Amino acid sequence: MKIDTGNFVRNAKLEMQNQYARTFLSLLPPYIAARRVKVMGSFPDPAAAQELSRAIRAEAVARMPDLLEEFEKNAIAAGARVLWARNAAEANEMILSIARERNVTMVTKGKSMISEETGLNDALAREGIEPFETDLGEFIAQQLGRPPFHIVGPAINVPVEEVCDLFMKKAGMQEETTDPVELGYAARLFLRDKFRRARLGITGVNMAVADTGAIINVENEGNIRFNKSSPRTQVSVMSPEKVVPTTTDALHLLRVLCRNCTGQSISAYVSIDRGPREPAEIDGPEELFIIIVDNGRSRLYHDPKLREALRCIRCGACLNLCPVYAKIGGYPYGWAYSGPMGQVLNPALLGLEETGDLFKACTLCGTCREVCPAGIDHPAIFLHYRALEVKRKRRSSGRWEAILFGVWGTAAAHSAVWRFLYRLARPVLAVFGKKGKIEAMPGPFAGWFGARDLPVPARRTFRDQWRESLSKQGGAS
Amino acid sequence: MKESAREEILARLRQAPKMEIPARPVMPTPREALFDRDGLIARFTEELTRESGVVYRAADREEILDYLTEIARAESLTRIMMSTDDMIRSLDLPAWGERQGVSVSTAADYPDRESYTRAVFDETDAGVTGADFAVAETGTLVIAHGGNQPRLVSLAPVLHVAVVGIDRLVPIYEDALSVFYGGAGRIPPAHLTLVTGPSMTADIRATAFKGMHGPRRVIVILAG
Ligand code: SF4
Repeated sequence: MKIDTGNFVRNAKLEMQNQYARTFLSLLPPYIAARRVKVMGSFPDPAAAQELSRAIRAEAVARMPDLLEEFEKNAIAAGARVLWARNAAEANEMILSIARERNVTMVTKGKSMISEETGLNDALAREGIEPFETDLGEFIAQQLGRPPFHIVGPAINVPVEEVCDLFMKKAGMQEETTDPVELGYAARLFLRDKFRRARLGITGVNMAVADTGAIINVENEGNIRFNKSSPRTQVSVMSPEKVVPTTTDALHLLRVLCRNCTGQSISAYVSIDRGPREPAEIDGPEELFIIIVDNGRSRLYHDPKLREALRCIRCGACLNLCPVYAKIGGYPYGWAYSGPMGQVLNPALLGLEETGDLFKACTLCGTCREVCPAGIDHPAIFLHYRALEVKRKRRSSGRWEAILFGVWGTAAAHSAVWRFLYRLARPVLAVFGKKGKIEAMPGPFAGWFGARDLPVPARRTFRDQWRESLSKQGGAS
Repeated sequence: MKESAREEILARLRQAPKMEIPARPVMPTPREALFDRDGLIARFTEELTRESGVVYRAADREEILDYLTEIARAESLTRIMMSTDDMIRSLDLPAWGERQGVSVSTAADYPDRESYTRAVFDETDAGVTGADFAVAETGTLVIAHGGNQPRLVSLAPVLHVAVVGIDRLVPIYEDALSVFYGGAGRIPPAHLTLVTGPSMTADIRATAFKGMHGPRRVIVILAG
């Protein structure tokens, strides 16, 4: 997948012109968020349920190396082959060679965020192997060549007319229609043929259970089940943080994930694989490969603050409540992950150099932190990124900023200095005022006014007025 | 020698500073654990019905077959594929099919995987299977796949009919899954699915509909 995180501001401005997306964003995320609240109520104690999922995720990440080894041992005992990849290139090469060895020219895929990260589809296509995303939304996004708009509905914003054109051209649809259900059935027909013929199925992993060596997938459409039933070879790709200690832990996370993700108490399908098919089975994969892709995780694991990002279970609840996401949608985030989740993950995985202003697009309202079932403190991580960036930049361009904030710091910590400087600044500020507002200023402060106004300071300060009124009262008594 | 990716990743993870493992809160007992049999049936039915599933109660083999006859007629079924688990075998569906004019096959009737795959994808109106458990919590079927329970029979045909003994109705997922993954006795299956209603999507304009890739309809007959 093309990385476009560096152009966040430009793309966000562009997306804000998109009236269709704006209308859509004003309706759907609040709807899912309301459903979430309702279905969380089916827990006898929703707060305890959230606390437990947070504790499980914190434990899973804290014990990650041990759990991974335990998982690997049990998965191998069940007959799976477990491969480790340092980065995207290694992971893609592994899958390519599995495909080549089996003379595969077409693969079907279930939704996998890690394979979006590694750009697997492009790598396959370059080698002449045709990949088909089989989740309806992923299929549309893939055929349009766009990043996911929303983690749960990757193409949910695409107008039906556009889907119709696309399916006429690329999904063998016979007759034009703008009915979403008819469009869905056209995709069903098209992809069913792929499922029947596919020799190799690729899936992601929602959870990997350490004490059984099983992998778990959660879905509604049935495409992942097909990928695990029809092809003779199954490749399941996971990032290391998918590992959880036990089946019981996985079941609690499952309940929490579905509620937070789509507002369902459970998805239509949950499938659990422990090794390849048994000899007596007529369908299912004869061989199961599990590829664990690090792609930077073991490095960021050393920073205790960044490590927290690995707790994420990709539920998308934070997207639905984020005031910034609600205005710009998923595209400006420029990569596999969007919303607060993307603002946490993209810089952690790609590096701050690549991600520009991404993590600054935040009001620090903290709604994401409140809702997060994994216990991630997004705003704290954003502040951490800012601190890291300042440290990185001080060596080069941040000199004036450093001086300015040095002065600011001194002033803010000493009330006499503050009052003195403010007294000097007030008449200067007043010069730029128009109708009680300052809307622009020349020089180094121009940028600040790009999206904000400042009220013109009152002619007399509150302190002056207060002192005066006190002295008047004193005079009267 | 160059370190393998595995050693390198694990070593780097192990070198990182250790972090505290937080205490876990005590969770209240799930409500379903206190339900009696009728309560469990009511919950199972209510949950599955909400997902557009249909639930029938059948007292004995005769009633199960009556329901199947009714379903076959209503859905104009002519070709059924069945699993061969104990529950389904006990129904002797081939004999029933003969009476009803419905052809009934099993995976074993096909000479190889290819012809089975073709049949289950394209030449089957309904898959009839047993299920290892029914979970009241969310109206969910638990199916452990194996030689007698092929994966595609409950997935590829547009209609899935499941027959489950009422003694297999349990309150919550853990009651069912601990049997397979509890470590005692039984070897965990290679493939196990939790099925709650038909397949579905809402990926185009957030319009929800059933039958995306898997069955469009799911009917559960609770037996006994
Ligand atoms: S950061 Fe938290 S709320 Fe957001 S997707 Fe991840 S787990 Fe869900």
